[in-house]
Amino acid sequence: MNPYLLIVLLTSLGLGTALTLSSTHWLLAWLGLEVGTLAILPLMAQRHHPRATEAATKYFIVQATAAATLLFAAFNNAWLQGHSDIQHMSHPLFTSMITLALLLKLGLAPMHTWMPQVIQGVSLNTGLIVSTWQKIAPFILLLQIKQIHPPLLTIIGLASILIGGWGGLNQTQLRKILAYSSIAHLGWILLILQHSTALATYALLIYIFMTSATFITLKKCKATTINMLTTTWTKAPTITLVAPLMLLSLGGLPPLSGFAPKWFILQELTQLNFIPHASIAAMAALLSLSYYLRLSYSITLSLSPNNLPECLQWRVNYPISTPLSSALPAALALTLFLLPLTPSALTLII
Amino acid sequence: MTPIQMTFSTMFLLGLMGLTFHRTHLLSALLCLESMMLSLFLATSLWALQLSTINIATVPMLLLAFSACEASSGLALLVATARTHGSDHMQNLNLLQC
Repeated sequence: MNPYLLIVLLTSLGLGTALTLSSTHWLLAWLGLEVGTLAILPLMAQRHHPRATEAATKYFIVQATAAATLLFAAFNNAWLQGHSDIQHMSHPLFTSMITLALLLKLGLAPMHTWMPQVIQGVSLNTGLIVSTWQKIAPFILLLQIKQIHPPLLTIIGLASILIGGWGGLNQTQLRKILAYSSIAHLGWILLILQHSTALATYALLIYIFMTSATFITLKKCKATTINMLTTTWTKAPTITLVAPLMLLSLGGLPPLSGFAPKWFILQELTQLNFIPHASIAAMAALLSLSYYLRLSYSITLSLSPNNLPECLQWRVNYPISTPLSSALPAALALTLFLLPLTPSALTLII
Repeated sequence: MTPIQMTFSTMFLLGLMGLTFHRTHLLSALLCLESMMLSLFLATSLWALQLSTINIATVPMLLLAFSACEASSGLALLVATARTHGSDHMQNLNLLQC
């Protein structure tokens, strides 16, 4: 893509999220969300492939519907209340409607069906942006709404964790697996949102690091299906070493940093006496772990069923660096080694 | 709930149901999206008239500008879909099934 166009689109993406983050009025929040949606559409559809166009169309329809519903509920609430502040909403019906619109934007169950399709249809870099950057703005709006009906968030959170786990089990396409993992992680964040916004922010931050590391690793391996992962050991042996750790961090195993959000969320839930919620969430995390283990098995612990001399590449394309590959060491370090630093990291957010 | 609020809520909800339940053409979904934005435009204009303040009188114009941008990008995507899939039938958008 033309570099000037790319700069304009990426700047607009950043501008959209910045507008939403800095807004106290619902109209400006909606403006920021719309700018973000419009800016990412050319990035999605740039390849003129039928799957890319279909993904862009589905993304557009979903995000536009969610934004319009958001604005409708905001204006109704402002009509009844007199002011359109984000942090002082009082009408329960329209608060629920705004929450549902934001959850549709984030792609949580039962409004999740567009996520695997859209992330499958676009390239890995754009899928990274959709999975990480586009989640920030709706999430910040969700943080600021007080008095959301608690069962709504709990049910949708638990449903997302379960559907994120079950949905990814039968997939061989890596982007669909990452979409379902995104749904599951956002379900964990939603569970704790009403009780502790600091923990929700921390969980989102760790999720962004882990997902970025995964997408960049897949881009470097040029792999989009599980079969393509099996030849990673010939192309980039260091990634073969580190990738299982990264996937286990996504699964939430200690001593990797993915364990910290799950640990604190479960601790907070049990302190507040929500034992069934904590049990269901902890057991549903096993479903996600099974497909992370499948991916790490195919990267590291098995050989692809070819002749051994046939596997080794003897003409390697140098340089093997993509524009994002300079961010890979930072993302991997944050994904793997952040657990000992958790107390100081939490003091930054709390 | 005032009659005005009931009217534009009904208009919005009808548009939303049309967007959700039209299963043949992509263009009908885009049209219903436009009708939702139109109902919001009417709502904000009537709100500005009712409150008789000039603070919020620019809200309809901002809304209209951004919904026009959104509509044009939707139509561009419709053209792209027609180019890659042959028509705008929703049944043809099945390449990305799980």
